[in-house]
Amino acid sequence: MPQSRRGSIPAKAGIGLRFPHHQAVVDARPEVAWLEAHTENYMGGGTSLRYLETIRGDYPLSLHGVGLSLGSAEGIDAAHLERVRRVVERIEPGLVSEHLSWSVVGGAYLADLLPLPMTEEALDVVCRHVDQAQACLNRRLLIENPSTYLRFRHSAIPEWEFLARVVERTGCGILCDVNNIYVSCCNHGWDAATYLAALPPAAVAEIHLAGHAVKKLDDGQVLRIDDHGSRVAPAVWALYAEALARFGPVPTLVEWDTNVPPLEVLLGEATHAEMVLRQVEHEHACADAA
Amino acid sequence: MNTPAPTLLELQHALYRSIVEHDEAEAAASIVVDGIDPAARLGIYRNTFASVLTNALRLSYPAVLRLVAAECFEGAARLFMEEQPPQSANLDDYGVAFPEFLSRFEPVSALAYLLDVARLEWAVSRALHAPDAPPLDLGRLAALTEDEQAHVCFTPHPSAGLVRADHPADSIWRAVLAQDEAALAAIDPSSEPVWLLVHRTERDVEVTRLSEAAWRFTDALFAGRPLHSVLEEAPGAEASALLAEHLAAGRFAAFSVSDTAIS
Repeated sequence: MPQSRRGSIPAKAGIGLRFPHHQAVVDARPEVAWLEAHTENYMGGGTSLRYLETIRGDYPLSLHGVGLSLGSAEGIDAAHLERVRRVVERIEPGLVSEHLSWSVVGGAYLADLLPLPMTEEALDVVCRHVDQAQACLNRRLLIENPSTYLRFRHSAIPEWEFLARVVERTGCGILCDVNNIYVSCCNHGWDAATYLAALPPAAVAEIHLAGHAVKKLDDGQVLRIDDHGSRVAPAVWALYAEALARFGPVPTLVEWDTNVPPLEVLLGEATHAEMVLRQVEHEHACADAA
Repeated sequence: MNTPAPTLLELQHALYRSIVEHDEAEAAASIVVDGIDPAARLGIYRNTFASVLTNALRLSYPAVLRLVAAECFEGAARLFMEEQPPQSANLDDYGVAFPEFLSRFEPVSALAYLLDVARLEWAVSRALHAPDAPPLDLGRLAALTEDEQAHVCFTPHPSAGLVRADHPADSIWRAVLAQDEAALAAIDPSSEPVWLLVHRTERDVEVTRLSEAAWRFTDALFAGRPLHSVLEEAPGAEASALLAEHLAAGRFAAFSVSDTAIS
C-alpha cells in the first residue's frame, strides 16, 4: 500500500488527480507513488476539498497552479496569491509549482497560459513575481516551461536561457515539462537537446509528461497542441529518457486533462514512466560503482 | 519594419484585444512570421480561452445547457465571455452574471422560466464551492442572557442562499438533470412563485422549498437583522421552529450581539 509521506515527493512516477478519479482513488487506493492536484480546483470548501484531504493522508501530494500569472506586467493578483497560500497551508504539499507564462491583464483572466516575450523586461517582471510568491508561500516554487504556439519578434533571450536565469536570480526550481519542450521545439524549430542542456540539473525538481495533439491548419501546416488528451507520444518518451540521463531520477508526473480516461489507463502511463526511471536509476548506480 | 518593440504591458493589452475582442492586428504585428499565419497562431489561444470558459459555464449551468441545447449555450457563452471576461483565476467565481446576461439574450427570450433556473443553478454552484465553516456554537448561544439572545444577529453559512423564482425552477431543474421527461411535462411553468433555500449538507447541496413567510423570515435572519426585530414581524411558533431547524441544520456560521443589547 502507498505510504503516508506527506511533505516529500519521491523520485518516482505519479499521476495528476482529476475530479472524475476522486472516488476511485479513495476507494481503490491504487499503487502509485504520488499525486498532483491543480491548486485552483481546491480554493473552495465542500466535497472536493474533503476528497483531497483524505487522499493527502494516503499519498505524497504536490500542488500545481495555473492562475498566478507570474508574467503579468501589472503585478500578480494579491487576492489570488492569498487563495494559493491558503490551499498550500491547508494541504502542506511536497512541491508547489506554477508556469512561465501570463494570464491576466487589465484585471481580466484570459484562462490560458499565454506566452511571454523573452526580453529583459519580462525577465525582471517574472523574477519579481517569483520572489513575491516564494516570500508569501514561504517556500521554493517550481516554474514550468510552457508549450507555445507563437514567438514574438522582439524576443532576445532563448526560452531555456530565460528559465535558467529565473532560477539563478530567484532560487526557484524547475518543473521540466518534457512534452512542452517537445511541442515547442517542433512548433518553433528549436533543438530539444539544446533546451535540456541549458537547464541547471540541480534545479530540476519535477518532470511532467502528457499527450499532445497534432493540429493541421487550413493551409496544411501543422502545429502541435499541448492538450493533455492522449497517451504520451513515443518521441516524448525518448526525450524523457534523455532528460533523466541528464537530470538523474526526478519525480515524474503524468497529466491527462482532456477526455480523461479511466484511472487504469493513467496508471498504465505512470507504470511506463516508472520503468524508464528505474532504468536510469540502475544506470546511475552502475556509473557510480564504476 | 522599424516599429519600436511594444512594452510588456502594451503587448499584453494587444493579446487581450486579440483573444477577447477578435482584434488581432496589433498582436499579429509582434509575431514572428515563419510559414504559419500569425492569425492562426493567435487562434489557438482564443480557442483555449473560449473552451475553458464555456466548460466552466457548462459545469455551473448544466440544466440551462440541456434546456437550450448545446449550440445555443455555446453561442451565449461566447458572447458572455467577450462581454464579461473573468476577473479572477478562481473560475468557481465565474458566471455570477450569466443569468442576467441570459435575460438579455434574444434567442432564449421565449423560455420565460430559464432565468429562474439559471439563478437557482448559480446558487447551487455557489453553495457547492463555498468555503468550509463550522456551524455556530450552540452552547455559546444558549449561554447568553434572554436580553442578549433577543439582540442576536446571525451570519449565514457561506453555502446558504435564498432564491425567489416566478416559475417552479426547482421542479424544472430536478426534472431536467434527471432527464425525466414525464416529470418535466407535468410541470406547469406558469404556476405560483416558489421560495427556495439552498444549502450545502455533509454530502450534497440541498434545495428546499419554503413558504413565502418562512423565506422572508430566513432572508431577514441571513441579512443579519437582530432576532427580536425579525420575530416581531413573524411572531408565532412556526418562526421559532424554523429558527431551531436552521440552527440544527448548521445554516448559520456565526452570531454577534448587536450593540443595543450591551447596555
